[in-house]
This record gives sequence, structure tokens and C-alpha cells, in this order.
Amino acid sequence: MPHPTQSFVRNGLLSVIDAAAYAAIGPHLEPVDLPKGTVLIEAGEPFTHAHFFNSGIGSIVVSTADSRRVEAGIFGREGLSGFGCLLGVDQCPQTTMVQVEGEGYRVSIDGLRAACQEAASLRETLLRYVHVFISQTSYTSLSNVNQSVEGRLARWLLMCHDRVTGDDIALTHEFLSIMLAVQRPSVTTALHMIEGYGFIKARRGHITILDRDALIDFADGMYGTPEAEYRRLIGPFS
Amino acid sequence: MSRFYLHQQIANGVIEDPDGTEAVDLAAAKHEAILAARQLLANAILTGVAPLGTAFQITNEAGQMLLKVPFRDALPARFISTD
Repeated sequence: MPHPTQSFVRNGLLSVIDAAAYAAIGPHLEPVDLPKGTVLIEAGEPFTHAHFFNSGIGSIVVSTADSRRVEAGIFGREGLSGFGCLLGVDQCPQTTMVQVEGEGYRVSIDGLRAACQEAASLRETLLRYVHVFISQTSYTSLSNVNQSVEGRLARWLLMCHDRVTGDDIALTHEFLSIMLAVQRPSVTTALHMIEGYGFIKARRGHITILDRDALIDFADGMYGTPEAEYRRLIGPFS
Repeated sequence: MSRFYLHQQIANGVIEDPDGTEAVDLAAAKHEAILAARQLLANAILTGVAPLGTAFQITNEAGQMLLKVPFRDALPARFISTD
């Protein structure tokens, strides 16, 4: 089966791995579209595929039986979904879905495991990514308990901005309220405040980042460490 | 289910609710407004920044004003007693 050459892929992990690692994983890659709302991993269901994103944003969400939910983490072209299979488990209690449409490659869980067996450097790079992802969820936890809604929103917008091309992010208030686990008026008010400071422009279903550096300052140390870990351990980030 | 909009009254205007929310009736929309006001007030207390809003104006899809919910209605009575 023909597969993409390494110089063609835009996924951050696939583009930094060495030739032996790419030779192991390349033949397993199947190009896929990632439409908004696609569920890639259902909580409590066996993993079938991992997805390496070239574009778009994936969201990992945890929820209770009565539908209270919060986003645990996000990833885009720097990462992959379904990395639990690398840790030797076959399912997880979180749901992974596409929150901003994109495209990428899927690989069967068996294919990914076989490739990791074949090339130790592939496994090592992917496990370093798992570490970076855990760093991100740790900072999300720190942010959730320490920051105002507007501070959390600023951090979250920066994380989305890292993973889209350009300065526009297509997101509704409803969606933001689910991601940040706050009521919609809290999102509306926080957007109003951040827009008032001149950091963003918010239109219906659409947010434009105007002053990224100011947003980073406003996020008050809660943004940047996991991203620096990625650069330190893996390669270029966004 | 009907669509209700929770517009927020602030000192110099209104923060519009762009999308609205589905609720079974006005009482359910009011309940949502109370919960939302509590969250806004809690965030204001945590940050020490006065809340922008003073009340929700609940409207229907046609833009008709149905009910005003002052933020003070979201507070436990003891919080607003004067002694």
C-alpha cells in the first residue's frame, strides 16, 4: 500500500522521528478526514485506531453519568489520540473527539504496537509525548483551581491558537462552556472582558487572536510549560 | 423546549447572549440564570474584581423581554442582610 513520505507529513511526532522509526510506522498510516464532532475514542470502549493529526484539534473529555463534563486535555498536529495503547491498556475512561475539523492519519492499534516493537526510537518519542500530555493536564488542573474564568479562557485560547493555522478559531460559546466546565454566561462575560482589553475579537461562533503576547501575560504563568517540554523533548511546537 | 436568551445587564449597556439556550419553560430558564449569576459572582469574589453585570434579562426568540433576574436574587438571604 502506498503511504506518505516523511517529508510530506505535518504531524509533529511523525516529522521528527528518525528514518528507522518512520519506516516502521509509515506503512500503517491511512489518510483520514477528521470532521468536527467525530468521536475517535469512546469512553470504556476498546481502542481500535490511534490518530496522528496533521491539522485540527482533538479534545479529551471526562464526564459523569449525569453529563457533567470537563475537558482534560487537547492535542493537534503535535500529538496523537489513543496513546493509552502504548501504555499496555486496551481502553480508557475518557472520550476523545474532534473539536476543530482537520485531517491526519489513522493507524490500527495493532499496527502502532507492532511499529513500536520494531523501532524503539518510535516508542521512545511517543512516550515522551505522553509525558508532555500529562504535563498539560497537570497545568490544566492547576489552572482550574487557581485561575479566574477569564484566565482559564485565555490559556485555553492560546492552546487552540497553537494548533490552528492563522489567528481565527471557530468556536461557539456553548462549546467553550463545556470545555471550561462553566455556564455559558461566564464564557460570554470572560470573552467580553478579554475583548475589552484588546487581546481578542469575538464574533458569533468565531474568535480572532489579536495580541498573543498579552494573552500569555494574562494567563499568568499557567501557559507555556508543557509547550516548552514538547520543544525540549520532541521538536518544534506550533 | 423553547429557546431563551440570557442577556446580561451591565453598567453601560448589555452583554448580548448570542446563541441562547434551550429550556422547558421560563422557570427553567430562570433557574439557569440564577446558577449563572452565582458563578459570575463567585468568579468576581475570587478575583476581587467587581462583577460587570447586575441582572439577567431573559428574552425569547422574538427578542421579547420576559423576566429580569437581578444578581442579588442569586445570593443566599444572609449575604444581603444589613446587620
